[in-house]
This record gives sequence, structure tokens and C-alpha cells, in this order.
Amino acid sequence: MSSNSGAAALKESGSFRAWLIKPNVQKWLVIITFAIVPVILLLLFIYYPIGKMVEFSLYNMSYTKVKGFVGLKNYIDIFAKPELFQTFRVSLYYMVGAIVQIALALYFATILSFKTKFTGVYKAAMFFPYLVNGIALGFIFKFFYTRGYVLDTVLTAFGIPLESLPYWLRDQSINNWSLVATSLWKYMGQNMVLFSGAIMSVDPTLYEAASIDGANKWHQFRYIILPSISTVLTLNVILSITGSLSAFEPPYVITSMGGNGTATYFIKMHETAHTLHKVGLASAMAVVLITIIILCTIIQKLVFKYAFRNSGTDSAKTKMKRKQFSKGVN
Amino acid sequence: MKRFLGILLSLLLVCSAFSFASAEGADVPAFDSFELGKDYTDLTAKIKWLTHRTDLVDNGAITQYVAEFNKVYPNITVEVEGITDFAQESLIRLTGSDDWGDVMGIPAVELSELSTYFAPYGTLEAMKDTYNFIDNKQFEGVVYGVPTTGNANGIVYNKAVFAAAGITELPKTPDQFIAALQAIKDKTDAIPLYTNYAAGWTMGAWDSYLPASVGDADFSNNNFLHAKDPFSATTDGTGPYAVYKILYDATAKGLIEDDYTTTDWEGCKPMINNGQIGCMVLGSWAFSQMRDAVGGEHPEDVGYMPFPVTAPDGKQYAPSGADYCYGINCKVDASRQTAAMVFVKWMTYESNFAYNEGGIPIVKTGNYPDLYSSFGDCDFLVQNVAAEGEDSLKDEMNAESTLMIDNGGNEKVQKIVEHGFNGDMSFDDIMNSWNELWSDAQESLGVAVR
Amino acid sequence: MGVEKSARDYILKFFKHLSLIVASALCVLPVVSCVFAAFKTKEEFAATSKMALPQDWGHLDNFINFWNDSGIGLGFLTSIFVMIVVITLSVMMGSMLAYVLNRFKFRGNALIRNLFLYAALFPTILLQVTVYKLMIQMHLVDSLIGYIILQTGTDVIAIYILLQYFENLSVSLDESAVLEGCTYFGVFFKILLPLLRPAIVTCMILKGVGIYNEYYNASLYLQSKNKYKTVSTALYNYLGPTKSQYEIICAGVLICIVPILIIFLVFQKQVYSGMTNGAVKG
Repeated sequence: MSSNSGAAALKESGSFRAWLIKPNVQKWLVIITFAIVPVILLLLFIYYPIGKMVEFSLYNMSYTKVKGFVGLKNYIDIFAKPELFQTFRVSLYYMVGAIVQIALALYFATILSFKTKFTGVYKAAMFFPYLVNGIALGFIFKFFYTRGYVLDTVLTAFGIPLESLPYWLRDQSINNWSLVATSLWKYMGQNMVLFSGAIMSVDPTLYEAASIDGANKWHQFRYIILPSISTVLTLNVILSITGSLSAFEPPYVITSMGGNGTATYFIKMHETAHTLHKVGLASAMAVVLITIIILCTIIQKLVFKYAFRNSGTDSAKTKMKRKQFSKGVN
Repeated sequence: MKRFLGILLSLLLVCSAFSFASAEGADVPAFDSFELGKDYTDLTAKIKWLTHRTDLVDNGAITQYVAEFNKVYPNITVEVEGITDFAQESLIRLTGSDDWGDVMGIPAVELSELSTYFAPYGTLEAMKDTYNFIDNKQFEGVVYGVPTTGNANGIVYNKAVFAAAGITELPKTPDQFIAALQAIKDKTDAIPLYTNYAAGWTMGAWDSYLPASVGDADFSNNNFLHAKDPFSATTDGTGPYAVYKILYDATAKGLIEDDYTTTDWEGCKPMINNGQIGCMVLGSWAFSQMRDAVGGEHPEDVGYMPFPVTAPDGKQYAPSGADYCYGINCKVDASRQTAAMVFVKWMTYESNFAYNEGGIPIVKTGNYPDLYSSFGDCDFLVQNVAAEGEDSLKDEMNAESTLMIDNGGNEKVQKIVEHGFNGDMSFDDIMNSWNELWSDAQESLGVAVR
Repeated sequence: MGVEKSARDYILKFFKHLSLIVASALCVLPVVSCVFAAFKTKEEFAATSKMALPQDWGHLDNFINFWNDSGIGLGFLTSIFVMIVVITLSVMMGSMLAYVLNRFKFRGNALIRNLFLYAALFPTILLQVTVYKLMIQMHLVDSLIGYIILQTGTDVIAIYILLQYFENLSVSLDESAVLEGCTYFGVFFKILLPLLRPAIVTCMILKGVGIYNEYYNASLYLQSKNKYKTVSTALYNYLGPTKSQYEIICAGVLICIVPILIIFLVFQKQVYSGMTNGAVKG
């Protein structure tokens, strides 16, 4: 298939079609027409911005003006300026919340996988928060946490005097936990649905065989369920951690743009870029965050690989790769 | 597929083809070069005004102004959009597209960038004798913003609450003020000082009282930038230290609202009107909003008083300055810029806006409203512009120190409340940390300290 | 021994059910409290306990006020429009790319796969600083087209779901069609596309929920809030940071979440399987 013959074919107008439907030509035609738009969009909206971000991070610049090359100063500022650095601490709350969220999701997915009455109702009740709009969620919980409102009313109904309750949003020892709880509220059920999907794909005869061997529920969990969902579990741990670094909506709505010590790293980055117009610094913040996320991902993979190395004959590696793609779910 | 691709690409092309023809230097008149009611009365244009006064949009007052304007300029259509979190949102709009609209209150952009976004009104030299506060948004002698109104900064308070607490004479020093707040707490059910912490921008307003604490017209844009440790402790109740200390002490002594994180900006207006709030630290622009609040039953109780610090010279001052200044989009075509220019001039001369809002007139010959009656011998104090060649210095100091004085520095003031409440950092430590930020900025910018 | 075991089982069972009931109640409680508040008058809201039932379930003023003042109607229209366009584009692009990557061996195949794989590693929202600048340069800020392109371009989920699905479609289908003289284009559009229905449903659910609830980009890129409103931005801009009339806020919240709740309850099975297909199968 030389280009010559292609050109020759073109001259004879009648056989252009013949040339066109030759398998090799057709193959490349299909490949190019089908792949070009998504690949261009991917390069344009993901890879080009990453490259630009690294470049911007070395400059002192606004959206309209480059004020000069500053080298690594922006990176140094992130770690040197306490008001930026302390937002990492806030993100730690969200990470702890993510761990709790996964543990709870695992627990409920497991017990709902055994025969239980009203499974459908429980599942629906725990899952639906995932569908609640993030802004609506913010308002719901602002209402929920305000002094003397929903949460306080419920707790006092259980006999806890109002005076002994904290101010859920004001007290800095607790307000980040209050916000983390809202993200747990939203994502726990969704994680549970994912886990129970994986658990349900376990061959039920395994349980029977196990109980004949005298395994109890814990053993079933540890040796049958856990290995079978290790990939989806790994994936969700990764996603929850990356999600916790980029948490945005709870502090944005509930504590008005992250006031009172609740600003997450992402909120700070948004503010730096869009209201302070320090595009260089904000880019550096994004680069740092992406680096952290990549590091976390690698560490987690290693840990889980170690934890599950004895289990599973499935081609975990290829599966794992694929799993990561569903991250958009969160 | 191909067709789809074609459509997508042509869409992209069409979009990028809309590179807006900018009309820099074209036939947009200067502010003082035409006469209202005579020139441009047949101009047809459609302009959009972005305003922070959502309250006036909601109650229809803005529609009234526009209707009056249209009696003279029937062919200029003015669309108004009120933006709730204006300080943040306007900055985003400004960068987002060239065609964000035509007129907006200039947000916290650096002065050196004014010309990137806004059309010039004329030179400072030519305009400064006719208008008050016209130097607020100027860069290197060119004016880019005409103030909507002028503010004198004091405190909004409820006279009935103060009377009920037995306060017969308005406090003049921080100590007297804290004592007054304590009296309100002890003798009435009102919240002595409502911080408006949650709204954020309302807290940045504390910066505007600094000039009162020094009594120096060359403070904000000049001496302050060169001062060594400007936040250092004072014992005589003067200086920036004294201003912020009021907030810290009031918080630490429980003289503010119960839960500062859930303060309610719209809700506070009827509250102070009805005597549920003793006072709020807000510029004079707030007065009319509090007095005319929907659901407020005692407009006559709302009063305005000077900020309770005394300068080293023993006098009380009301720092005054521009409110938001109208900026005109310089990236749209000339007819729209002209229409915007006409509209801003009409708002300045004919609308009575400044007077209606309880502000200091922008045209020097304008009338003063009577809310300043309790100011007695308290002088208005206007800040001079920066020394030559230092127009950008304050912006640079702000950016470098991250304190953002007078320029959206809400966060540091909110932190005072947080520390005051939690008691995890003493006030002196806060001020020392600010001093440190300030000195570091001076050092890295090579600012002479005197 | 039998007795002992059943006693323990009984206790375990009790705790199991207790935990389920408590968790479900906690999930439902915040929304239920909104329902109570939304039907109260201003005075009633102020005077009664926040968990007290409203006196008059027919008091709809809060809903009506919110609907009239917030422009949420336009928000629904815009969100649904964006949803339809973005889902159509993503599914078309995703299935075409998946077809190419799955059915053809060519240089660059692995590269493209990997590019998509790594793109999925971190939240694309982190790129917004430079994406925003890029969008400014393309004059796509404050335009619905820009928002749609962005929503299509920055989310690779659909592509991946479809890629997974393709791996389960037998190649023999293509082969027999090609033998009968069908072009590759014909194979894709006539034979394979109709078979993708389940995967398309999955994409619709995942992307649909995502777009309906999306706030950040909508707020940043659809800047003229008078002209463009999505459900989220209409909700936020009406209620904003400065209002706290909770009876109206709650009504607004309910208006936004009830439609999606109804869809969920009706299509529960498909939603669950869509969720798990998106993440687990493969």
C-alpha cells in the first residue's frame, strides 16, 4: 500500500471508492476520525493545562500580566506561609473521614450481603444522599448544625442538655469534623453500593464450602469477601483520599468559603487564583497537590499489594488499571 | 462523525472569531468633556451594570434610577445585575471574558492593572478640584474610577439600646466603648456588637478605621507603608493596635453574638432597627440600609457615631473615602463605552444616589445628608494619594505581606475574632505576627523604613 | 451449646439491625428536617421546634416564592439541555474511541489508553487554574458552548466505561459483518452501537447525576447569572451566602433534590447496576 497507488487511484475517479474501502485505508480512516476528537479534547483539557501549570508555577503572574520569573519561590511560599500550609491539616480531617467512610461502607455492604429483611429500604436510604446536589447539601447541613436547630433538637430529645452540646460550626475543635461528616453522609452509601456489587459477584458456593469447614462470619469476611473486593477497595481508598484533598462544597457553603479554620487546600487554591489573581502561586499549589496525589496512589497500591499478595488468582494488575477509570463516579 | 467534528471545529472557530474589537483611544469622551442632557441624547446602546447593591435591586430602587435616566436618554438600555458576593465574583467576571458588561464597581484589582480593564475618565489633575475622592482609583495621574458615593466611617448603633444601657455620652476611646458594650450586655437583651463575621467582606471594613487612630492624612498610602512595626502595642488607645484590639476584647469578653459563624447579613438589618443589636462597625453606606430595613419598626432609633478612637493629637476623626467606584469596560466598542460614560455621569450628577445612601457627595458642590449630626467636632479625614512613583507600593505590600489592608483583607480580621473567642493566641501575638509580615514585605520589596 | 449459640446470634442480629436502623435514620434525618421546615410559615418556623411537624401541609408559599424568584425553572431547562448534549457527545465519542482502541491494533493504541488512564488519576478540577486561562483565550468563558465543551472534555468516565464494555462484545460479530461486505463504519454504527445500550445507560446515570449536581464549573464559566442558570447555580445564587431564611432555603433545596430522588426511586435497579458497572465489572 504505497502512497503512489493511492494517488493513482484518486485520479481515476471511479476507483476512489475502491481505494477508500481497502481494509488498510479504511482502518486508518476509522481510527483517525473516531479517535481525533476525544484525543484532542484530552490533550487540550488535561495534558496541555498540566504542562502550562508547571510553567506558570515558576512565575509571578496574574491572568493578564506576567510580572516576572520567580523560580521556586511559589513552592517555597506554600510551605513557608502558615495560612497556606495549615490547610493541609484541614485536609487530614477529610482523610480520616474517608477511612471511616470506607470502613462503614464495608461493614454495611457485608451485613447487607447476608440475608436481611428490608435490604432494599436500607440500601436506598443510605445511597440516596449521594444524589443530593452539593450546594443543596451545604444548605441542608447549615440548617442541621445551626445552634438550637435540627441536630441540637434531636440530641436534646435524647436527654442531652443543650448547654453541654458544642457549637457544631463555631468551635474549632469540632467544626472540621462536622464538615467531614457531611461528606461521609454523601459518599458512604455510594461506596457501600460499590462494595456490595463486588461482594455479590462472589460465588455463593464458597460460603457454603467455608461454613462446612467451620468458618465463622469473620472468617468468611476475611478470607472470601475481602480478597474478592480488594481491587474495588483499593480504588475507593485512593479516590477518597484524592477527594479529601480537593474537598470543596462543604466549606464553601456551610462555613462561607472556609471561614473559621475550615478552608481546605482546594478552597485556598481557588481563592488564590480567582480573587487574589495570583495565578503563579495557585498553579504551584495545584502542582504540589497533584504530586501528593500521585505519591498517595503509589503508596496505597504498594500497601494493598502487600496486604493482598496471598489472595486472589485474578489478574489483579490489569483489573486495577481499569478500576481507576471509574473515579469519575466520586 | 465527520459532520459532528466539523460542527465542533466550526463552533470553536466562531467562538474565537469573536475577539472583541477593543476601542482604545477611539472616540470615547472624557468624563468632563460633554454636557448631560445635551450631548449624546440620541445615542442608542445597550449596556450592563454589575452592582453589589443587591438590596437596591431587590427593592426596585435601581429600576427607579434607570427609569429616570431613560427619561433623558431613552435609547440607552441599562440592564442591571446584582451580585451577592460581589467582592469575589466581580474579580472572576473581570478576568473571565472581555464582554462581562459595561459598568461595575471596581473590585480589588491592583492599581497598575486598572488600565487593562477600565476606560480612563480623565486626568487626576483636571478632575480633583471638582470631585471628592476621585483619586481612589487612579494610576499615574489617570482616573479610572468615579466613586458611587463617599463614606465616612463610623459605627451604626441603636440609640434606644444605648439609652436603655444608660449610656448618655457616646464613647470616644476604646475603653469607654468596651464599657458601653458591657453595659448593653448587662442591662439589655441586645447583642452589644454584631460582627457580621460570616459575610466576610463586612469584616474587612475594620481596616478603614486605621486613619482615625493616627489622625494623619498621609497614613494609608504613604507613612503606613514605610512605618516600622505599625501594629505595635500602644497604651494610650491610639494607633492601629487600638482599632483591632476593640474587636479582640469585645470577642474575648463575650460582647458579640453567640455564634459568630452563623451571622446573617440580611437578617441583621431589621435586628439593629428593632433594638436586638447594639451596634455594628460599618461604613456610613450601611446607615440607610439599617434605617430602611424591611421588617424594621424603629427607623428613628438607628444612629451613626464616630469610631471610638482618639488620635495622638487628642481629636476624633471620621476617616472618609470612596465607596465602590464605577469602572467602565474598556474592551467593548466605543458606543457602549460612551453610553456607559454618560450613565456614570448621570448617576454622579443627577441621580442623587450619594445623598440617598447617606453618603458624602461626589460632586463637591453636592449636599450632605444629616446623618453626621452626631459627629459634632469630629473631622472628616481624607487620605492623600501615594507619593510619586509609589502608586503600586501599597498593592505590592499587601500582596507580599498577605494582610490586604483596605483591599479585601477579611480573613485576617476574622482571625482576630477566632483567636479572641478561642483564646489560643493573645492579641499582642497577633499584632506581632502582622508586624513580622509587614517587615518581611518591606524587606523583600526594598521599602525604606522610616 | 445450641442455646448458647443462638443467644449470641440473637445479640449479633440485634446489633446488626440496630446499626442499620441508626445509619438509615441518620441518612434520612437531614432531609426530613428540611421537609418539615419547608412547609412552615416564617412565624411558625421561628416559634416551633425544628423537628416539629408543620401545622399546615398545604402551605406552599415557600416553594412558590423560591420558584418565582430564583429562576430555578431556567436552571432546570439549562441543566437538562446540558445533560442531553454532554451525554450524547460523551457517549458518541466514548464508544467510537473505545471501538477503535478495542478492535484495532495500531501504533499509539497503548499510548492513547495510557493517556486516558493517567488522566483519570486525579480530580480534573485541580487543573482549573490553567484551564480557566485556556478558556479565556478561546473566548469560551461565559458561554453555554464553552461549558458544554468543558464538561465533555474534562471527564473521561464515559470513555472508560465503554472501553470496558467493548471487551465483552465478541469480535465474531464484526468479522461476520465484514465478510458480508460491511465497512468498519458500518460495523460500528449498524452492529455495535445498538448493542451498547446497557453501557450507555450506565453513562447516562453517572454523567447525568454528575451534571445535574455540578456547581464549580457552572459557577465559574457561566458567569452572567441573569442569562445562564443551572440548578446548582440558581440555588446558590438565590440563597447565597447572606440569607438565612431557612423555611425558604429548605423549600429550594427540596425543589432541587426531589426530581432526582423520584428518578432514583423509579429506576433504583438500573441506578445500582449502573453504579457498579461503572466501577466493578471488568
